[in-house]
Amino acid sequence: MAIPISQVGTVAAYVLKKKLAGVKRYPLVLMLEPLFRCSLACAGCGKVQYPPHILKKQLTPEECFAAVEECGAPMVSIPGGEPLLHPQIVEIVNGLIARKKYIYLCTNALELKKKLPEFTPSKYLTFSVHLDGQREHHDFSVCREGGYDIATEGIREAVQRGFRVTTNATFFDGTDPNSVRAFFDEVMGMGVEGIILSPGYSYDKAPDQHHFMGRARVRRLFRAILSNRKPTWKFNMSPLFLEFLMGERNYECVPWGMPTYNIFGWQKPCYLLQEGYAESFKELLETTEWKDYGVASGNPKCANCMVSCGYETPAIIEGFGSWKGFLAMARGNFKKYPNADAMKIYNDAAPHGSAELVQIEQPERALEETNA
Amino acid sequence: MTAEVQKYTLEQVEALELAPGAEHEDLEGWVPKLATDADLRDALGKALDYRGDVTLTLKSGERIVAFVFNCKSGPTLADSWVQYYTPTAPEKRKVGYAEIASIEFTGKDRAAGKHWEDWVKKYNEKKAAGETNIGLAPDKLD
Repeated sequence: MAIPISQVGTVAAYVLKKKLAGVKRYPLVLMLEPLFRCSLACAGCGKVQYPPHILKKQLTPEECFAAVEECGAPMVSIPGGEPLLHPQIVEIVNGLIARKKYIYLCTNALELKKKLPEFTPSKYLTFSVHLDGQREHHDFSVCREGGYDIATEGIREAVQRGFRVTTNATFFDGTDPNSVRAFFDEVMGMGVEGIILSPGYSYDKAPDQHHFMGRARVRRLFRAILSNRKPTWKFNMSPLFLEFLMGERNYECVPWGMPTYNIFGWQKPCYLLQEGYAESFKELLETTEWKDYGVASGNPKCANCMVSCGYETPAIIEGFGSWKGFLAMARGNFKKYPNADAMKIYNDAAPHGSAELVQIEQPERALEETNA
Repeated sequence: MTAEVQKYTLEQVEALELAPGAEHEDLEGWVPKLATDADLRDALGKALDYRGDVTLTLKSGERIVAFVFNCKSGPTLADSWVQYYTPTAPEKRKVGYAEIASIEFTGKDRAAGKHWEDWVKKYNEKKAAGETNIGLAPDKLD
């Protein structure tokens, strides 16, 4: 497993404590969005489509600390926007480290190399660098040539300075499994601690609305990507959640597991949907109509969602909540998930090389390759 | 979620190949007629989803440029409010539905013209013209 023992132990103890106390709804990860401003303009992103006066707003360190303390989650993910654009991000991170929170600072890494000297390596701090695939795929995905080279330079510098580093990738319709697997080899070769991945979610506010996969296609794609796993690949995610993405187990959405706080307040019901805001975490828990969300609800807005903010929490709770779950989780760290159909896909697909960026104009061909 | 929303069955959800995605109306510049309470509720619902500012004119005559991000829709207009940020005030503000006389979608739709296909077209054109370091830049903040 890519995750350090101290972090695993902290999360396990937290889950068991909540279970023994009979708490029904509790958070595992706070999604703390200190600002929406970003240095990229990705077509698939639904987080930055705001007027300038909203993009200029940002949470103060004190607002961040108050949210973290009220929520009580042992882990804090700091997405955005681009958190490194926040002028007080170092103060925010140091304040969270002082509170012994495990932080995932999600960054496009365009500013990472420049900002690294301001941070101090800690077991509590991980830079989670947005990389959507190999150079051509990443650059095209984030709508910026040269983005991959800058980001990987930042990754190497952070690794060299002793920081914990992961990559995080979002995959959209048309993703080539062979390319993703080659990408895994590349990033593990850079010395990152592990890989984080997710299928794209059809953000209502995203400019692009036509390249988000449904659940059937997500499962096929991730089965192709994650089968026949190489021992060198490490994932900074619950192995049970990865099995969920591959269609090997099923979970119901647990939206309160990874609540979101930003300049608007506590977002209802989750990181992805914006159906109102609460003034406090308590109000969020008590006033959100939770039954209206998740696949089981039939809500069309939840229909294509297999994203970690809803579905990794139940995987983590299962993993730490029972011996059976724990053994399944432990086994998942070492399994290779052999799959002959997936192997056939890799072999039948055209050799992957430095494909032209415009290949994305032919998504149908790549989709046919994901019928594992 | 309101009762009239078309729900999916689990079978439909699990078999979904492509997410339908949201259909965004072209609301920039729209000035809805607010003849009934239902018209007002509908317009404010669209303002909530709009990716730009709107201008609210209150019955007092005051005009407010606002980014609307939250609402409470109660049984009557008197029980209902929207929450918003203005371009100049630092704090969140609220105004009751009953105080609103009109709404105009005056701000720029911040996602318009930024579809994936727009990017692909722009990329291919620039590449053909021999440009390098091609990319989309975020909107300027000033």
